[in-house]
Amino acid sequence: MSGLSLQHIKKVYPNGYEAVQDFNLEIEDKEFIIFVGPSGCGKSTTLRMIAGLEEISSGDLYIDGKRVNDIEPKDRDIAMVFQSYALYPHMTVRENMAFSLKIKKTPKDEIDKAVNEAAKILDLEELMDRKPKALSGGQRQRVAMGRAIVRHPKVFLMDEPLSNLDAKLRGQMRVEISRLHQRLGATIIYVTHDQTEAMTLGTRIVVMSKGKVEQIDTPQNLYNYPKNMFVAGFIGSPQMNFLDAKCIEKNGHIILQLGDYPISIPERKQKILKEKGYVGKTVVLGIRPEDLYVDNSSVEKFKNSMIQSQIRVYELLGAEVCLHFDFMGVTMTARVEADTPYRNGDTVTFALDPEKIHIFDKDTEITITN
Amino acid sequence: MKKKKRNNDSAAVNSKLIRKPIERCFLIFLAPTLAAFTIGFVYPFLKGFYLSFCSFKTTSDATFIGLGNYVKALGDPSFTHAFWYTALYAIVSLLLINIIAFVIAYVLTQGIKGANIFRTVFFMPNLIGGIVLGYIWSMIFNGILSRYGTSILMETRFGFWGLIILMCWQQIGYMMIIYIAGLQAIPQDMMEAAKIDGASRMQTLFHITIPNVMPSITICMFLSLTNAFKLFDQNLALTNGQPYEFLADGSVVKTTEMLALNIYNTFYGQNTAARGTAQAKAVIFFVLVAAISIAQLSANRKKEVQQ
Repeated sequence: MSGLSLQHIKKVYPNGYEAVQDFNLEIEDKEFIIFVGPSGCGKSTTLRMIAGLEEISSGDLYIDGKRVNDIEPKDRDIAMVFQSYALYPHMTVRENMAFSLKIKKTPKDEIDKAVNEAAKILDLEELMDRKPKALSGGQRQRVAMGRAIVRHPKVFLMDEPLSNLDAKLRGQMRVEISRLHQRLGATIIYVTHDQTEAMTLGTRIVVMSKGKVEQIDTPQNLYNYPKNMFVAGFIGSPQMNFLDAKCIEKNGHIILQLGDYPISIPERKQKILKEKGYVGKTVVLGIRPEDLYVDNSSVEKFKNSMIQSQIRVYELLGAEVCLHFDFMGVTMTARVEADTPYRNGDTVTFALDPEKIHIFDKDTEITITN
Repeated sequence: MKKKKRNNDSAAVNSKLIRKPIERCFLIFLAPTLAAFTIGFVYPFLKGFYLSFCSFKTTSDATFIGLGNYVKALGDPSFTHAFWYTALYAIVSLLLINIIAFVIAYVLTQGIKGANIFRTVFFMPNLIGGIVLGYIWSMIFNGILSRYGTSILMETRFGFWGLIILMCWQQIGYMMIIYIAGLQAIPQDMMEAAKIDGASRMQTLFHITIPNVMPSITICMFLSLTNAFKLFDQNLALTNGQPYEFLADGSVVKTTEMLALNIYNTFYGQNTAARGTAQAKAVIFFVLVAAISIAQLSANRKKEVQQ
């Protein structure tokens, strides 16, 4: 198992399209790195460049300290799990898993040992003589994992491996992959567009957009301290609410004016806004749905930062409820306790937790303060 | 709610009032095709089968003579020669056409420049009719062989290889198109997985590509095998069975004559009494081609994979 280093990696296609722009990342041994972002953001291209399936236009890629830009995929000591699983349909599960070792001319007893071990880890022992067409989606996914495991590679690359599974199975497999990471102690690079997968699996997450790295951090930090509006909006579900707010000074305090509603913010955030010269300007206020409250005690507690609106959609999720409402021309969402008495058409006071308010520059969309 | 009920009703109407009568009257719908098939295929086939047991000059004056025609057909040295000659031709052409077509298809699917132009060019010979091709190639071969003081009609081996070259030239493009379709149907991910698994180009070809194009291989082998056995026009135009070999018993063996041409020559030859024998040969020919094709199909099908 080993570390990776991506230095100023770029991918430019012959038509001039820059799929990946200046990608820099140091991956420690045994890390579980997630590349996340919307479709077409360059995450899969980056993974494919690491795999050697896509040529690196410029920059250096090091695996275990060795520059591998010009090294064939087979010599990079990596294994990859594809979105479509890419199992060989004419081979049994056992043959699929043994293929890489067989062509390396590994002794038969060693192949058997590695395959049986992987089958045991992935609970595939009963299915070894079946062909892929006789397997369910989840089983195929496990075989694809097994094919990667038997090689004991330095790095595992996974390209949206769960996206073809139904929601329930995806949840189970997420847990399996997490367990596998702990058990194998392997370095894993995992591509997904599903931020839940990213948050639950990764030790660090790389958020990408339009070929650029937006932020690299731990899941917790990405959630709490997003660097810009893209990351703030992408991480977290339902996504963060954004509202234009006027930053004004009143009685020696800096407040954010949302239409008719003044929103007070903590001293620390006031200081930063003042220092950076945002007083009198319009900024973007970001608040996550879970940081909006409707219960009486919270409304009492945050009485200096409240807004009022009429509920348009009441959406019961089970343990929680999403209340959707319009405010200043923006559709907002509040995630509250399921026992809330409010329903469609009710006019409700929403309290914003001032500590959880994120403030962004309206033009650059970069975070001013979290 | 009302609307939903109406929808259900219309579904019921659809199934009960329309489907049932259709099912009951299926014969009316089936009749035109069935009639055409019976008149155009079943009746002539059965009549032909019956005629193979008869002596006849025209189909209306047939007299049943039992297995005599079959005995004569199997004892005819020109027929047995034509059979072995056709079998040899079938094996050689099957191998050459399929191997070359696969190699060209493989090369043309590797993303080389101008692949589309090559595909069109390779396919074009298939658009020319067999008789025309036969005459064109006989001129080409004779043009070359005349430099060495010989011609395609002088030696059996010239006729054999001439026909092989002609048929390769004509059929490779067609088979290539089928192989290209098969190769393009292999998921790219699978090829990449093989690459990451460490397979070399050759290992990928033999362990991944070929097993996955088995359906194309089956169909191409079937087509080239049946085409080989049924070959007529090109055989007629290129050599018409020449050179001849005269046997001690006075009979003649046309050394480059294939089965279909042999049957044709027997039927329409000067000896009108041999028409029954030709009919028996045709039945033997049908059984042979059907048996070989079925055997080949079932052998190949076992190797096919489903995605």
